[in-house]
Amino acid sequence: MIYRLSLLALLLAAQPAVAQEAPEEEEESKWRLGAALGYGERSNPLVQSDDIPIVVDLDIAWFGERWFFDNGDLGVTFADNSALTASVVARINSDRVFFGKTDTRFISLDLAGEPASQIVEFKPPDRDYALELGIEMLTDGDWGMLQVNAFHDVSGTHEGYELFANYSRGWRNQRLYIEPSFGVSYKSDKLNNYYWGVTPDEAGDIVDPYEASAGLNWHARFMIGYQLNRDWSLSLVAEYERLNDEAYASPIVEENGVFGWFAGLSRRF
Amino acid sequence: MRPLLPLILFFTALLAVPAAQADDMSLTVKPVLCITDKRNPSCDMSFLVMWQSLATGYYCLFNDFGDAPVRCWSEEREGRLTDERNVQADFSYWMTGTDPEARLAQVDVEVLRMDSDDRRRKRRTRHVWDIN
Repeated sequence: MIYRLSLLALLLAAQPAVAQEAPEEEEESKWRLGAALGYGERSNPLVQSDDIPIVVDLDIAWFGERWFFDNGDLGVTFADNSALTASVVARINSDRVFFGKTDTRFISLDLAGEPASQIVEFKPPDRDYALELGIEMLTDGDWGMLQVNAFHDVSGTHEGYELFANYSRGWRNQRLYIEPSFGVSYKSDKLNNYYWGVTPDEAGDIVDPYEASAGLNWHARFMIGYQLNRDWSLSLVAEYERLNDEAYASPIVEENGVFGWFAGLSRRF
Repeated sequence: MRPLLPLILFFTALLAVPAAQADDMSLTVKPVLCITDKRNPSCDMSFLVMWQSLATGYYCLFNDFGDAPVRCWSEEREGRLTDERNVQADFSYWMTGTDPEARLAQVDVEVLRMDSDDRRRKRRTRHVWDIN
């Protein structure tokens, strides 16, 4: 709910600036609308959690001369030249999504496998969405594309920051397109501890308090697409993100990585 | 099996090579899609053009690259040829009979530009729905 309200607030705030922009003369539509129907999953590294199914994947984006909205991210571009594109971007932190798919269980062992003093009800603690503001720089060439982001919490949720870098390179042979990419993400101690730590209030018979320090995630992704015609394409995507050791050491985390995949039929509108 | 029939028909229609026909003329062209990007701003393509008519006669194949016919056939009811082209924009092949202004069948070849000069369109977002 907070997430939706935040998005709405950002969109409303953006409207006056968007309306002032002069219409572009280029033929390319400012809108990028798409939908993919298929099946996929994203694993959940939390204990007592469910994987996140993906059946429909929507792509809703709008790119003006300066302002843009890209699937939940709102940005304003302040530099765009042959070397790079730089923008200020507001986004919702994505780590929160795992905490929405956890289960309550009655257990008699703690998460370390030791006998608990009694049968207790346990559910991994909940976390809030964080609204983050940051800088994004994009550069590309025949060598591929590099994206670098620096985000800081502006909602007072975790009060930390994240540095993100991603490199991708695509190859096309007419209808067939493949794009591997990989990158790293540095999570500050405050961000890491908010999502993956356990406060004394949350600790009990099942989990001990835990404080996470800063850490470095890395990720790799592979996408393959086949264009059926102007509007339709087949897509297969697989992605793995390795959690930093500080997050993996948390008593509410049981997997050291997140694996996601999706295969489906996509349509551009 | 019955529930799958609409899906099979849907995908068959989706993947079918476009073939235009007017009454007794059918024209088929393969391929009908050229995909370009920054590294490959045009397509060097070899088009296989096939036509078939119910009636034997005089027929000509045209395309948008020139006013003159690509080739004409006399006293034939079917024909095929391979046409090598460097393609940068949409164009059409069409068949005519004795009247060159009357198109008996037409197939459109589309050029699809897959990338953009706007780098932001290729940016990576990290939300749960951004899996593809």
